[in-house]
Amino acid sequence: MSAGTPLLELKHLTVHYGAIQALKDIHLVVYPGEVVTLIGANGAGKSTTLRAISRIIAAKAGEILFEGQSLLAERPDRVVRMGIAHVPEGRRVLARMTVEDNLLLGAYIRGDSAGIADDLEQQFERFPRLRERREQLAGTLSGGEQQMLAIARALMSRPRLLLLDEPSLGLAPIVVREIFATLRQLNSAGVTVLLVEQNATLALQMAARGYVLEAGSIKFSDTADKLMIDERVKQAYLG
Amino acid sequence: MELTTLLQQLINGLSIGSVYAIFALGYTLIFSILGIINFAHGAVFTLGAYFTYALTGARFGFNGIFAEAQLPFGLPFLLALFVGAGLAGLVGVLVERALFRPLRARGADPLLTLVSSLGIAVALVNTIQYFVGAEVYSFPSSVLQGLPPSVNFGTPEAPLVVRTVQLVIGVISLVILVVLTWFINRTKTGRALRAVAEDSTTSSLLGINTDRLILLTFFISGFVGGIAGTLVGLSVTITGPYFGIAFGLKGLAVIVLGGLGNIPGAVLGGIVIGIAENLLPSSAVAYKDAIAFAILFVVLLIRPQGLLGRTQVQKV
Ligand SMILES: Nc1ncnc2c1ncn2[C@@H]1O[C@H](COP(=O)(O)OP(=O)(O)OP(=O)(O)O)[C@@H](O)[C@H]1O
Ligand SMILES: [Mg+2]
Repeated sequence: MSAGTPLLELKHLTVHYGAIQALKDIHLVVYPGEVVTLIGANGAGKSTTLRAISRIIAAKAGEILFEGQSLLAERPDRVVRMGIAHVPEGRRVLARMTVEDNLLLGAYIRGDSAGIADDLEQQFERFPRLRERREQLAGTLSGGEQQMLAIARALMSRPRLLLLDEPSLGLAPIVVREIFATLRQLNSAGVTVLLVEQNATLALQMAARGYVLEAGSIKFSDTADKLMIDERVKQAYLG
Repeated sequence: MELTTLLQQLINGLSIGSVYAIFALGYTLIFSILGIINFAHGAVFTLGAYFTYALTGARFGFNGIFAEAQLPFGLPFLLALFVGAGLAGLVGVLVERALFRPLRARGADPLLTLVSSLGIAVALVNTIQYFVGAEVYSFPSSVLQGLPPSVNFGTPEAPLVVRTVQLVIGVISLVILVVLTWFINRTKTGRALRAVAEDSTTSSLLGINTDRLILLTFFISGFVGGIAGTLVGLSVTITGPYFGIAFGLKGLAVIVLGGLGNIPGAVLGGIVIGIAENLLPSSAVAYKDAIAFAILFVVLLIRPQGLLGRTQVQKV
């Protein structure tokens, strides 16, 4: 459905943890403005894929292109500066720092203090609960609030591509709906999203296309609508 | 004990205690970021003292490569202090680049890194000895030019006399403590430092160049270590290449007392030990260096995590 230059492109990506091969010859494309989901069972290699894009683990072979530019020679902090924000698995908020400090750190790469103040306000409007807890240590937030903080923090860098690793994990359905509604808003505001989920139903409802990862390889990919009615997906992931 | 004597000893204790505090912060900053004690810190302290000594234009002694050498210029003490500390900071940076970073990149065991830093300490001490010999050096009295040797805060009848040197080192260290605290808690770079200390992978996902911040930490650590070295050298003497080693052990007592990796803890620990040493009756002055460890022993029996230490960091 989407044409033109891909925003993100993985070609033949292979990643090892020591002797263990975690990803094998991965191909994946994300076009500007899309929501693409990567689904798969535990240990399939979903988080590894996102970590490789963010350069916090090394690729053994293959290529990662962002707007046609290779990321393989870049440090993780450079990747953020290029426009990719990663909301890691398990949220990873900085527990001993305040909510506000976490958000300001999200804007670390930026120097425009007026713009940062505006964006801070915007996050507080998006997640009013964060405003109330502005001075609170992030480690004392509930799981759902921490997830909101992790997303808001990523947005503070004004990314063009948002990598999300299981934002629904461990959250009550109502909180999950809230977070996904926000993600939809963000996407319509122009942020491209690569979403990793174990909750395939949820992911396929939101995404335009999906990739199914099994034991480190892409088994198949299709539009979300087709995947939703695919027997193999239904059996393995839609329960 | 008379009140004025007590006050006098409190002032002296606060003064040397704040030197302990800035020195201990040098350990603490690196520990909170890398989880490793940098044993080379004591040697960097020594180097700072020698750098400043040389920069004031003072002459070296009869031994070593630099025998009788002297710079063709002499900086005013305060300037020499900061330039010397800056050079000590650069030595800290060198230690990180040559030792800590390569070991980190290989995923070395922290114990290995710790022992290697001890090796660097020994190498630095020997290098110092090679260049300037093992003599005792005193800063020329002219460094505090124009200042009276002591100040009386009391009345002529009830004198409260404090050596000017004590005041100078106390004021300089307190200023550095305030600036460093402000930097860590109130600036963008300080916030990033705290983030790296808590979780370096997540910090890099936020666009922080963690290696650069670690380098900065080593610079700051070396800088405050160098300042402390000069100030102690000024207050007593530079006792030779091993100058910083005994002081380094006391610094360890300070950070463990305050709570490992805890910045306010290092400050409190330094001041507690400084004051305790100075309240020692003169008959027990020979045990002055043991005081730090005696306090440490007692406190750890009651609070194993140190005065301000957290029991266990909760990872969410
Ligand atoms: N640090 C590591 N060291 C060694 N092996 C690892 C490491 N991290 C992940 N792996 C292995 O790599 C494979 C892929 O892991 P990954 O975390 O990418 O899975 P995932 O698809 O995100 O799973 P989950 O849904 O449980 O989060 C797994 O077999 C895992 O055991
Ligand atoms: Mg995962």
